[in-house]
Parts: sequence; structure tokens; C-alpha cells
Amino acid sequence: MADETMDLTLRVWRQNGPDDKGRFEEYAAEGISPHSSFLEMLDQVNERLIHQGKEPIAFDSDCREGICGTCGFVVNGQAHGPEPATTVCQLHMRNFSDGDTITIEPWRAKAFPVIKDLVVDREAFDRIISAGGYVSVGTGPKPDANAVKVPKPISDKAFDSAACIGCGACVAACPNAAASLFTGAKITHLALLPQGRPERGQRVKNMVHQMEEEGFGNCSNIGECEAVCPKEISVSNIAKMKREYLRALFTDS
Amino acid sequence: MTTLDPNVPDGPLHKKWDNRREELKLVAPNNKKKHNIIVVGTGLAGASAAATLGELGYNVKSFCIQDSPRRAHSIAAQGGINATKNYPNDGDSIWRLFYDTIKGGDFRSRESNTYRLAQVAGNIIDQAVAQGVPFAREYGGELANRSFGGAQVSRTFYARGQTGQQLLLGAYQALQRQVERGKVQMYPRREMLDLVVVDGKARGIITRNLVTGEMERHAGDAVVLCSGGYGRVYFLSTNAFNSNATAAWRCHKRGAMFANPCYVQIHPTCIPQSGDYQSKLTLMSESLRNDGRVWVPKNKEDCSKPPEQIPEEDRDYYLERRYPAFGNLVPRDVASRNAKYVCDEGRSVGRGGARAVYLDFRDAIEEQGREAIKDKYGNLFHMYEKITDEDPYEVPMRIYPAVHYTMGGLWVDYNLMSNLDGLFVAGEANFSDHGANRLGASALMQGLADGYFIVPHTVGDYLARHRPDPMRPDHNKFDQCEEETRQHIQKMMDVGKNGSRTVIEIYRELGKLMYDKVGVSRTKEGLEEAREEIRELRDQFWNDVKIPGEADNYNKMLEVAGRLADFLELAEVMAMDASEREESCGCHFREEYQSDDGEAARNDDEFTNVFAWDYKDEGEWEKHVEDLEFENVELSTRSYK
Amino acid sequence: MIPLKKALTSPVGRKFVMSISGIALVLFVIVHLLGNLTLYVPDGGETFNRYAAGFEAMGPFLYVIELGLLAVILIHIGWGITTAIKNRKARPEDYDESTETKGGPSRLSLASKNMIVSGVVLGFFLIVHIWHFRVRKDFVGETTEVDGQEATNLYAMVHEAFADPFWVVFYVGCMVFLAFHLRHGFWSALQSLGAMKPEWSKAIYAIGFFVAVVLAVGFMGIPLYIYFVDLPPPV
Repeated sequence: MADETMDLTLRVWRQNGPDDKGRFEEYAAEGISPHSSFLEMLDQVNERLIHQGKEPIAFDSDCREGICGTCGFVVNGQAHGPEPATTVCQLHMRNFSDGDTITIEPWRAKAFPVIKDLVVDREAFDRIISAGGYVSVGTGPKPDANAVKVPKPISDKAFDSAACIGCGACVAACPNAAASLFTGAKITHLALLPQGRPERGQRVKNMVHQMEEEGFGNCSNIGECEAVCPKEISVSNIAKMKREYLRALFTDS
Repeated sequence: MTTLDPNVPDGPLHKKWDNRREELKLVAPNNKKKHNIIVVGTGLAGASAAATLGELGYNVKSFCIQDSPRRAHSIAAQGGINATKNYPNDGDSIWRLFYDTIKGGDFRSRESNTYRLAQVAGNIIDQAVAQGVPFAREYGGELANRSFGGAQVSRTFYARGQTGQQLLLGAYQALQRQVERGKVQMYPRREMLDLVVVDGKARGIITRNLVTGEMERHAGDAVVLCSGGYGRVYFLSTNAFNSNATAAWRCHKRGAMFANPCYVQIHPTCIPQSGDYQSKLTLMSESLRNDGRVWVPKNKEDCSKPPEQIPEEDRDYYLERRYPAFGNLVPRDVASRNAKYVCDEGRSVGRGGARAVYLDFRDAIEEQGREAIKDKYGNLFHMYEKITDEDPYEVPMRIYPAVHYTMGGLWVDYNLMSNLDGLFVAGEANFSDHGANRLGASALMQGLADGYFIVPHTVGDYLARHRPDPMRPDHNKFDQCEEETRQHIQKMMDVGKNGSRTVIEIYRELGKLMYDKVGVSRTKEGLEEAREEIRELRDQFWNDVKIPGEADNYNKMLEVAGRLADFLELAEVMAMDASEREESCGCHFREEYQSDDGEAARNDDEFTNVFAWDYKDEGEWEKHVEDLEFENVELSTRSYK
Repeated sequence: MIPLKKALTSPVGRKFVMSISGIALVLFVIVHLLGNLTLYVPDGGETFNRYAAGFEAMGPFLYVIELGLLAVILIHIGWGITTAIKNRKARPEDYDESTETKGGPSRLSLASKNMIVSGVVLGFFLIVHIWHFRVRKDFVGETTEVDGQEATNLYAMVHEAFADPFWVVFYVGCMVFLAFHLRHGFWSALQSLGAMKPEWSKAIYAIGFFVAVVLAVGFMGIPLYIYFVDLPPPV
């Protein structure tokens, strides 16, 4: 249906499992519509590989509308590819030109071991949330939702932080593979809201220490994390995390 | 054909849930830790159920196919969640939400369930706020509400366009808290492939580890299935790539009845297909219809012209024309059906022959100014432009209906237990409280109502009443189920080695067939044909599918093949259900059953009921019926003229 | 409560240590430069030597200050190196295609990516510099008279050193690394302490650039001035 198509060369990281060494392989992606998404382009390449009796390129994806955070890999040295504020499932091929060679690599971090090809294990993120990224309330009768007012600017800021989709692009783009933006965003979201305040000290302490345990690097304030974040989460969340930690150093809560 | 007992409590409608809660038996605190409960799925229903059960003291095992429970497809819900808080003081009440929901469902849901849903809705908002869910607020600091989906009151709570995400993250965080406490054990990247039924009771599941391909056995005292809907049977839908019906279908094949499979909601405002490579359709909030005007050219010849060259008198604002009272705000099914009709007439305006109609903001921008429109829909316009490369401020949007939600699902009683003892079904996976059509902003409500407030209590009652003996995964039933699952996979792999058609090729074909014949508008003839074609496609799958790779490894295509195999069976019962439901109701529109002016014509005398299908053998089902009794509402006819 | 050890070595805590020691060192460097500006006074070294003699007059107290300074430097280096090692471990395998910045809010640059490189060079520079002017001063420096008291003629030592083009190039070269280190370090220290509001971030980043350039150029000017303008050294 598309008007014109393009031909591309892909250099794709192939790795059969966590213990495999891995290598690049080249594939031709021909007849690609500029209106297709990057993942749909890979779908088409995979269909051809399957017909040729070869193993398709493994990659994770789910909602394909940029909200679930499942997809993600590095395209030409950029997490989620060249478009800002975009996940790779929402990246369209019109961002590339006919004849381009595109290098595709998985997120690389010790804390995100490769499962296969472009698929990585991000359970470390879940464990960081487990360490304290919640408000400790049980299910049951709660005070009326309007019992505690939250100023709109605060609530809006909390939302900005809560918008994180946990895709891991921040870690992938960070030269130190630090998880500060991810962790900082959750800490900020909950520290801003009155409901999250009673546990703020414990939370920042446990989440930061878990981050270290998982083998993420340390933040060097380079800010590439914010630049690649599909939800444009600001590094000011990291500063907030530092302040919360500082506060926790000197208070009991 | 037998009649099913919905196990509805006694008493007046508004007392039923209270009465039931008082009757529910409790499990003593020190006994709770002796019970293992399996929860499949981590969407709103699954995550909230697992978290709450863990918090109550049960040992919970939680399973999801995603790499993290946070990614379940509830995350993608945009619009909002309904609740009868009546904060805006515009006259809302539990009764009104109940009535709107049951009427919206075209009187094909259970009164008692729907009423309970409206009752507990308010608690969900309190719960979510206590968890730190950042709902939209007014400048005074109170929660903001909006009217949604044509409701006459503002009862929808929202968090920008990402309400599902924020509610799911709230539930996910509650779940992770229980993981930290050791009460929930999380199993990500696991696909449930079988239900283990021992002595008529659900006692465990078989899962496949999607990374290693290993088969795993998990025993428990109850299984709570929260695995979502089956919209992906249409291949192209707004559902996630991995959404599937396999877990529910395997329960069905083990004896759980599947109710109302033909009720599928097709959402009118989606971005149309742009090519054969397309893997999904993206939904845009239907709030767009508040200001956008839907039209197509009056003359076929104009369809290829740029829209700005089509003069006003040659435009057909068909919704405004046919439904002067509601205009562009008619319910989802009416909007979807009419889009199909105008496209069938050849007046489609899609790119390169794709089916689409215009959703035009020109007049709204003229009246309210570009800024006002940007304020309301800026993020949606941005998303649209990102996907289509067209600027909706300048040219009309193109939209087309897409499958969005399935109201059908496993049959459950009032306690959300299926006809199999110990198998509970919550969220979109059950046949639900939405009847033949779901209203906007009520899916999130139902998922969380089931998970937080209903299932945790009814599961306890089941355990207290049945006191199941401890079950170990070395029971011979587990051996048998695991072996059968293994063989099923092996059979696929064996065919897959030599087949010639890829999984996706067959899948796309199924999807197209379902859209054409079991879609927005259905006929007896079409449904019969569909059944035949589905069977042929199923044969083709089992003889000629091509599956790459191995079974003992991460193998996405093997996963999809397994899901497709189940869809190829489910599709058939959908067609059968649609064919036997000889009336038009809600989303189910049968062309034979329409009023003189082309509107859906219900047949309340014969079809005020639920069809629940009992699996007998491949392609064979026995139909059971649950009669729906309406004691509190009068069955009226929807009219949007 | 967070145990002290954790507070100093956790991902956030170690950056506090880096920031505070870094800021202390920047302050020291500013004072150092202000003192060194006396080299520009055309009085045959009188002012400079008097300034230097002032330190000698402190007696043992000078050693306390110097040891304190050394401790800060060692802490900064120690934490810097262990942090860099940890960071390296966190990304054991690098991308084939080197990370290309997406721009926008990113501060990814030669300076920010290579703090450890500029840091190691500065560490090496420090050893040479201390040996060159501090250690040698006590052992090989000739003396002069300041206010009737005998004092080291540091001015002569400086002039002697910067008569040699090798040292001029060495010092100027190392100051380029100082510029790079401060270009990212100044902003980074404040961000690590959480002292950053998004609204201020641009301004602080700009001030960081200014500080880096002023300090580096200030130090570079001395050898260049001596070599090109103020030679031959006075007798």
C-alpha cells in the first residue's frame, strides 16, 4: 500500500544465550515501507529469515505503542534510535534513508544480561522496586480520596516522575550503566506525594543500596539518560534522589 | 443444554454484596499461610489480586508472560476509570453507574454483578490514591473528574492519557512489596499452558519457561486466572503483541465454560492500517469525538482527493446525519458499524486503499482556537503525527475501528468462580460485568474491583469451605498434564520443521477472516462460512505451519504458534456463538436482526441470557444457558437518534 | 539510619564524597591561582617570594594544612578510581557503535565521558608538580632575602623551570586536562549533591564552563608569560 519503499542493510547482534560470545551478522532489509515501525521492519526481515530456514532475530516487544517498556535496543549507538522521546516500537522507518546501514545492539550492562540476541533480562529493575518503590498500604477501607489535598503543581511533578516505563534505555545509554534515572524517578514520585512521605527515608536508602547490589554503575551526571528517555524524565529526579539520601543520612525517617 | 446457577446472594440489589460478604467463610490467620494460591497474569486484576492475597497471608505464586509484571497490557489503557464519588456534585450515584453500565451492555449482563461493580468502584479510587497514584487534580488540590464516553455525569478519574499505566504501577508496586515480604513469589516470562484438575478441582498449572523452554509444575489450592481478553484472535487489534487467550483456553479445554465469546468491542477511533506489514493498531482516546467531526465524501470519486479540496456540500457527516441527538458521540459500536458501512460503500479515505474515515478538527479549531484544542488533545495529536506523519491541525485525522476489548470470557458465578471448583477468573478474562458492550473507563474499574475487593474474599470462602488437602506437583495428574503439553509442543515443532507457511502468515489470514465475518457486522451465512474457513485454516496450521528454532530456548515464534493454535479453536466457538445468538445486541450486530431504520434489534424474549460453551472435542461444544433476570431495571431500547 | 561505611560508598554516598572533595579542591585551586598571580608583578620576584615566605612562616602549621590538602586529594583520587572501576564493571562489554548523543539535555561530551582520564593525568601532574616546586624547594632551592629573613627564592625556581620549553609545554598541556576536568566536574559536583533545580541547570552548566576556562587559562598564562615575556630570569 505504501507509496515507495527502501532497502537497508542491518548489522544485528546475534547471541544464542547468556554464555554465547555473540557476534554481528548482516541482513538485507528490502522493500521496507517508510511508514512501518522499526519493529515491523524487523518482523519483515524475520519472516524472510524463517522462510530461508534461519532463526529469526529475537527481540522483545509487547504493546507496540510506547507505553509498556518491553521493547528497546540500541540503534546506531543510540538507545531506541535517533528520535527523541520515542521507543523503538514508535520509531518509524521514515527516519532512515534508502541504502542506510543500521547497527542494532542489545542494551549492554552487567545488570541486564543478554538472554538472546536483543533480548535482555531486566529483573534488576523489579528488585529495585521491591526494595522500597511503593507505599506500604494494604488493601481495604482507606480515607476518602479527597481527604488529603495535593497541590496540582506537586501532583503534576509526581506524575512526570511516575511516567517512567522501566524500559532500561537510561541504563543502556549511560556510559556507566547507572540506574539512577529509573531509581530517582520512583523515589521522586513517591517522595513528592503526602502518601509516600512516611517511608521516604527507608525507601531511598533501600532502593539506592539495591541499585548497587544489582551491579549498576554510578551516576556521572552525564545526562544521556534523559536524552534517550522515551518519557523525557528529567535528571532533576536524580538530584532529588541525592537530596532524599542526604536527608536520610541525618534523619530517622 | 443445562441451566447454570450464578450463585447470586439473596436480598435486595443493594444488599446483595453485603449479604454475601457476611456469608463468606473465613480462613483463620494461622491457616492462611498453609494455602498456596496461583495467580496467572499481572494486569490490573492479577497484580491487585496477588498483592491482596499475599497481604492477607496466603502463599501466592504469580505468573506473567512479560519480562516484568509491570508490563501487562492494562498499562496501555488511556482514558480513565469510573467511580461514583460524585465529587462534582452532578447527581451521580451507585445506581446511575450501575444503570449506565447495564444499559450500555444492552441488558446482557448479570444485574447483581454489575451493581456490585458500581458499589466498590469508589473504594478503588481511595485505594489508588493511598498507593500514590498521581491522578489529575484541580488547582485546589482535589481530584479532577471528566465526563467520558458520552456519560451525562463527570465520574471518570484520570492520569493524563495514561490512567492504566498509573493504576497498574500502583498495583505492581503493591505486588512487589509482597514479593519483598516473601508472600508472593514472582515468575516472569512464564506461559501457563495447562490447568491441572484433580477430582474436579483446579489444583495447579503447567507453565513453560519462555527463556529455557522448560516445563514447570506448580501446585496450589486455588487458581486465579487473570490472563486478559482474546482480542488478538483478530491479529490486528489494539491489544499487545503477546496478549493471548491460551491460559483461558487451556482452562476451557479442561472443563471451564466459555461464555459469550461473540461479544467483542470494536473501538471506533484507531489509527487505520497503513500496510501489510502492520503488527498492531493504535487506539486514540475516544474523547477526540467530543470535538472532532466524522465524515467521508458523498461521492466515491472524491475519495482520492485531498480533503481540503472537497467542498462542504460534498461531505457526508454521516453520524450527525443519522443520529442528530448524539451525533459524533454515539456509542462505540454504533460509530464503528457506521464507519464500516460507509467504507463498504466505497467511500473510504484511507492511504493507498486502506479503510478509513475522516475525523476532522477544522471546525473545532476555528471555534475554540488552536490552543484550546492543543490543550485538550495535544498529546493525542502528537502521537497521531508521530505514527502517520500527518499533522491533524492541518489535515483531518484518518481513523478506523479496531478490536479493542472482549466482553466474553470464562463463565463465572457471582463469586467469580468458574464452573470448575477452585478456578477463579477475574478481569477481562471472565465473561464479565459488561454484557454485550463495555462503556468507556470501566475496564480498569472492573479489573481492580475483581482483584482488590472481590476475588481475595471469595477465594478465602472457597478454601474455608472445601479445605483442600495439600497438593504436590508429583501427583500423577501433573505427570499427565505435563506430558500432554509436551506432546502438543512437540507436535507443533514436528509440523513446523517442514511446513511452508509462517505462523504470522496464517495468523494474519485468521485475523482478516475474523474481521470480515465475525467483526462489526455479522450474518448467518458469513458466520457459517467463517466456521468452515477457520477449520480449513486450522488444518493448514497443523499440516503446513513453519516454526523456526528449537523448543528448549527463547523462541518467540513457537510461543505465537501455540497461541495461534488456540485462537484457531476459539475463533470457531466465537463464530458459533455469534451464529446462535439470533439477535443484535451491544457489539454483536446481526444484519438479519435490525429495525427498519437499521438499528440493532434485541430479542429479549429469547436471548436475555448468557451462552456458556462446554468443550467436548475439537470443534464440538455443548451449549449451556444462564438466564439473566432483571428485577430492578426495565429493559429499554437504546436510541441515539 | 544509614551506616557510615555505606553512606560513604553507596552509589549516592560516594558521589557526595567526590563532590565535596572536588569542591574543596576547586576552592584550593582558586586560592592557588590568586597567589600565583603575584608572579606577574614586575618586581624581580619580591612580591611572589614574600607570598611564598608567608607559608614558610607558618612553620609546622603549614604541614597540617598540606597534610589536610593531601588527604582531600587522596580521597578524591581514591574514590574517583574505585568509582571508575565499578562503572567499568557495570558495563563490561562496550557497544560496537560508540554511543552517539541524542542531544537535548545530554551533557555527553569528551569531558564528561573521560573524567577518569583527565583525573589520572591531573594526578600524575600533581606528583610532578609537588616534586618540582614543593619537594625541590626544600632541598635544592637557593635562598634569597625577604624582609631581612632568609627565604627560598621560589621565584627563581619558577623562572628556571619555565625557561625550559619542555616544562612550559608540560604545564600548559596539563592545564588543558584541568579545563576538561572542571568543565564537567563543577556542574557534576552540584548535581551530585542534589543542589540542582532544573531551572538552574543551564546556568550552572555555563558557570562551570566559565570556572574551567578562567582557572585553566589563568594557570597556563604563567609559564607562557615567563617563557615569552619575562625571560631571562633575574640574577
